[in-house]
Amino acid sequence: MSQTQAVQETAATKEWEPRIVAFLCNWCSYAGADLAGVSRIQYPHNVRIIRVPCSGRINPLFLLRALQNGADGVLVSGCHPGDCHYISGNLVARRKFALCKELLQYAGIEPERVQFTWVSASEGGRFASVIEKVVDEVRQLGPNDKLVKKL
Amino acid sequence: MTASQEIETRLRETAEQLLRDKKVDVFLGYEKASLPFRTTPLFVTSPEQVDRLAWNPFCTINLAVYLPRLFADSRRGGGRAEPPPPPTVGIVLKGCDLRAATVLIQEHQVPREKLVIVGVACPGMVDRRKAELALGEHDALGAGEDGEGNVHAVIEDGVEVKLSREDVVAEACLQCRTPTPSMHDVLLGSPVEATDGDGDAGRKQTADFEAKAPAVRWAQLREALADCIRCSACRQACPMCYCTECVMDQTRPRWLGAGTDGSDVMIYHLTRAFHLAGRCTECGACARACPMGIDTRLLVRKMNQEVEDLYGYRPGDATDTTSPLSDFSMDDPQDFLTEP
Repeated sequence: MSQTQAVQETAATKEWEPRIVAFLCNWCSYAGADLAGVSRIQYPHNVRIIRVPCSGRINPLFLLRALQNGADGVLVSGCHPGDCHYISGNLVARRKFALCKELLQYAGIEPERVQFTWVSASEGGRFASVIEKVVDEVRQLGPNDKLVKKL
Repeated sequence: MTASQEIETRLRETAEQLLRDKKVDVFLGYEKASLPFRTTPLFVTSPEQVDRLAWNPFCTINLAVYLPRLFADSRRGGGRAEPPPPPTVGIVLKGCDLRAATVLIQEHQVPREKLVIVGVACPGMVDRRKAELALGEHDALGAGEDGEGNVHAVIEDGVEVKLSREDVVAEACLQCRTPTPSMHDVLLGSPVEATDGDGDAGRKQTADFEAKAPAVRWAQLREALADCIRCSACRQACPMCYCTECVMDQTRPRWLGAGTDGSDVMIYHLTRAFHLAGRCTECGACARACPMGIDTRLLVRKMNQEVEDLYGYRPGDATDTTSPLSDFSMDDPQDFLTEP
């Protein structure tokens, strides 16, 4: 059996695992994820982290693009209101997020596909439990088949 | 003399006076088009041309769409040569168009002091698709209106067909919340009361769609957008889409495929709705421009209602307010957040 065949067979027999793309703000949530790691807190490995300077950097197009490129779920996390490194980045972002969530829901996309939260740099435990919750909810939804681009 | 003809006469007089007194460099209005049920935009630069200006129930185009382009050169900086001074522009604006111009002034795309706004109280414009549909297999060769605002179309052999006003008025006009322009330098026509001041009709449409199951909503949206050919007419017709380079046209990075793949089309429309959240003035220009007859307002309408509910803001009310998406409040609702 050639190596390619072997790889294909493992892929086919392997159970589907959700792929979550997490956009984390550099100052709070990314440090929170780091703390979770340093503290050896266990959380699902389904998450792929992308570091952004601030949750205010998030363009809703990022989230749509992630879903289009095959992510099963997207998580955005920033500093708690009032803690933003840039004073009000997350507060302006909060309005965008509220509308984004509402629009996707209106279009018929499951609200659990795109989630938003706040995690501070000292909340390693909270980060782990947020990831657990998101992965769990997306796992129940099954693979993302709505926005994904089939080539 | 019908109300429209009266407005037309006064419009020509006003434009002529403005051009003669050199109060404006260019006057934007409508001209009779070669096809029935239509008008084309007209840029008048000399008083001798004002007789080409028209006012009739077919003046559907939102002329505010041309404003950012007229002022683009004067706002361009960084070059070696001094930018040219901004022109003074006279412009005919209906209630909905005025709201669009208000947002453009608010967003610093157009200087108010360089505008002479000729507001027209608008009783509602004719949707040419509705009119063509009402004529059935007949082709219109000409069109006009009578004193009551009903449309008279001329079909083959010079036969005149009367189309009643209620049957041909555009949907956006039936839902109009501000038919009479609030900000103006000259107001033509007698003020018109809004038939749907609270926007109930739009709310009902949204509620009806929302009452369906998510999977049904998705399927319905997919089906509605399946016709989309990605021609970007909705974007070009929209006064609010004035970016020099649209994110959809960028190639480095290429944000979105340019083709008609279902996923690309959906993301195009979702993004368009998002970019117009709290900015759309609901003039219906996008839906009129769509060659495929797609209800391009379905998503945008929802976004606007959401902004109104969450942040108590309606775009196009005033020039000195802050747009809700450039603003925040410490106690904005955040019940949508995920809590572990």
